[in-house]
Amino acid sequence: MQSDNMKVVIATLGLEVHWRGAVTVAQMLREFGVEVVYIGNAFPEEIIEAAIRENVIAVGVSSLSGGHLALGSDLIHLAHKKNIKDKVVFVIGGVFPPGDYDKLMKLGFDGVFGSDATGEDIYNFLKKGVNAKLDGSAGNSIA
Amino acid sequence: MSQDRTTKQMVTEGLKTQRDRPVYNADTIDRISREFKQWKNSAVSIEDRKHYHIKPNLLLGTDLPRGLVYTPIDTKFLDYGEDLGLPGKHPYTRGIHSNMYRGRRFTIRQLSGFAGPEDTNERIKFLLDKGATGLNIVFDIPTIQEYDSDSPRARGQVGMGGVAVDSVNDMELLFKDVPIDKMSVSLVTHYPTNTAILFAMYLVMVERRGIPWEKLRGSVQNDMVMEEVVRGGLEFIPPRECFRTQCDNISFIRTHVPKWNCITCNGYNLREAGTSAVTETAVAMANAIETLKELVSRGHSVEWTAERISFFWDVASDFFVEIARLRAARRLWYRIMKYRFGAEDDKATLMRCHVQTSGLSLTSEEPMNNIVRAAYQALAAVLGGTQSLHVSSYDEAYSVPTEAASLVSIRTQQIIQEETAIPAVVDPLGGSFYIESLTEELEKRILDEIDVIEEMGGIVEAISTGWLHRKIAEYAHNENKMKEESAIKLVAHNYHKLDGNRVAPDVFRYRSGVEDRQRKKIEELKQRRDNAAVKKRLEELREACLQHENVFPYCIEASRADATEGEIAQVFRETFGLWHPPVNW
Repeated sequence: MQSDNMKVVIATLGLEVHWRGAVTVAQMLREFGVEVVYIGNAFPEEIIEAAIRENVIAVGVSSLSGGHLALGSDLIHLAHKKNIKDKVVFVIGGVFPPGDYDKLMKLGFDGVFGSDATGEDIYNFLKKGVNAKLDGSAGNSIA
Repeated sequence: MSQDRTTKQMVTEGLKTQRDRPVYNADTIDRISREFKQWKNSAVSIEDRKHYHIKPNLLLGTDLPRGLVYTPIDTKFLDYGEDLGLPGKHPYTRGIHSNMYRGRRFTIRQLSGFAGPEDTNERIKFLLDKGATGLNIVFDIPTIQEYDSDSPRARGQVGMGGVAVDSVNDMELLFKDVPIDKMSVSLVTHYPTNTAILFAMYLVMVERRGIPWEKLRGSVQNDMVMEEVVRGGLEFIPPRECFRTQCDNISFIRTHVPKWNCITCNGYNLREAGTSAVTETAVAMANAIETLKELVSRGHSVEWTAERISFFWDVASDFFVEIARLRAARRLWYRIMKYRFGAEDDKATLMRCHVQTSGLSLTSEEPMNNIVRAAYQALAAVLGGTQSLHVSSYDEAYSVPTEAASLVSIRTQQIIQEETAIPAVVDPLGGSFYIESLTEELEKRILDEIDVIEEMGGIVEAISTGWLHRKIAEYAHNENKMKEESAIKLVAHNYHKLDGNRVAPDVFRYRSGVEDRQRKKIEELKQRRDNAAVKKRLEELREACLQHENVFPYCIEASRADATEGEIAQVFRETFGLWHPPVNW
């Protein structure tokens, strides 16, 4: 399966100061054999640029302090603009008020993960999502 | 040569004093040992004998084996005078005041900060009205990282997770009608660089209100570990410059705002990022030690400096370990001050602290359980003898706390203060075989870890090489694995988990319009102020940075001229340069 060579970009969104979650997810995915490019704090432009440069098939961003809606929306808009939204899986993780899970999905994230998600949950989701996008069935719900 | 010896060597050497007040005599210990052996080999089941010591797996846990029971054999080392003493007396194991909570209750100091200064001002008044006895102000992430609210980098994050402050004007709004000359105010500034800016703004606000700086009580964090390791974000200045700024701040604040805690060595956020109680304490103390050395080399006395160093600890769920750690930290700090620095003034040897209950240990599942978790943690903090307390709120796994959740946190503390009689007696667990044994072991391990840091060249080196970054990332990774495998059990999260939909609490919703309001204020400020004067003040700060002058007075001058936080920070970035920790995540 193509997803066995998954390469992903992980970033801490904007000025977020909590990096434990993003670094932990990066390490967990590496243990599943995923190639992870961890770029630290980054804004949507830098994240999309890294996704294109590194030719990744998934982007994961982390947000805990409340910037998820504004910057998440910027990220997805830019992904559309750069024509990678249909080719790359976009996931976001962190601390979100309950109603914001739906809002993030509506913005166009393929997956939203809270602090209860395990490394396996995230890995399996990415694998499924990446295969769905590679099959050209993008746009369908993959959750 | 004393400079060549490590803190551990000096403390160990110093402790070879006369120990003439043994708690137990040797005959008694011999007799108990014989009885204990017999008991263990007959009354204890074979299974428990085989696993007599177990290591509990807990969130933010400390790798300490626990025996089935503790007896005087485990505390036979105790010398009452040297190891325990009386409350308010050396080595302060039992507490820093002779009458502890009878004299002064621990301060109920809930964190507050969200949206704009006008909004947080309302929350401050709500908390004070409900019985909070101190303030604890947390800033939003652009303010912490020193970007103005109108910076493109702040978009969507203004007023999130804390309050937005861009100028002295915002400080005035934040503390409007708050009696800051009558209570202690903790400013959670985290970084040395933002302390130099935000506390300068605070002082200018105070000056404009006509309150003399000498009257102020409170604290800033001013901790390089926060800036370089724990809460660093987009752009870091190099560790050396960060440490210098930390010491500049101390030197100025100590001189001009004498009752203010000029540094709060922050173990809390380091622990939450991922580490044990031992590393948390060791890193904070290693920072305090290196800071004292630097201030002494700048010509200040060790007593004068140390008197206003405070500590900030995390209390997680390992109940007795947390209590013992606070006791161990008090005793060790006294010994470090006495044997490492030769401090003669008692006030300089006190480990004074604020405690926050662990936010990480709160779960989003069944959030009301968090009230119970936080209450046990709060109890541990009080039994450990803290001076000040924040109880994390039950809804913090979702967002910043609502008013209702903050109220429960205040009530938790008031219930301990007024309904349990715990404050009536000092150090009620002192003398417990288990607590004393843990206290001894923790003190030893903390000192060992301070030694590791000093052997690698001290805290600035431990940060510059990425050692500390790697250490906490590794801990967090292992801990996460244990959580996923349910080796660490969290009720309703990975253990006794309910099926079906979870019930989410009413959570805090950010008000809209804060970013626009902040932006508008900056715009008006820049029209109103003397921009030529701002430019001049910033140039003077630039020179001070380059010429190794104390930066703090220049930040005061820039604040008086109404420079914004972002403008001042830009001078630091340009003169100190940027740094990335040598870590490959």
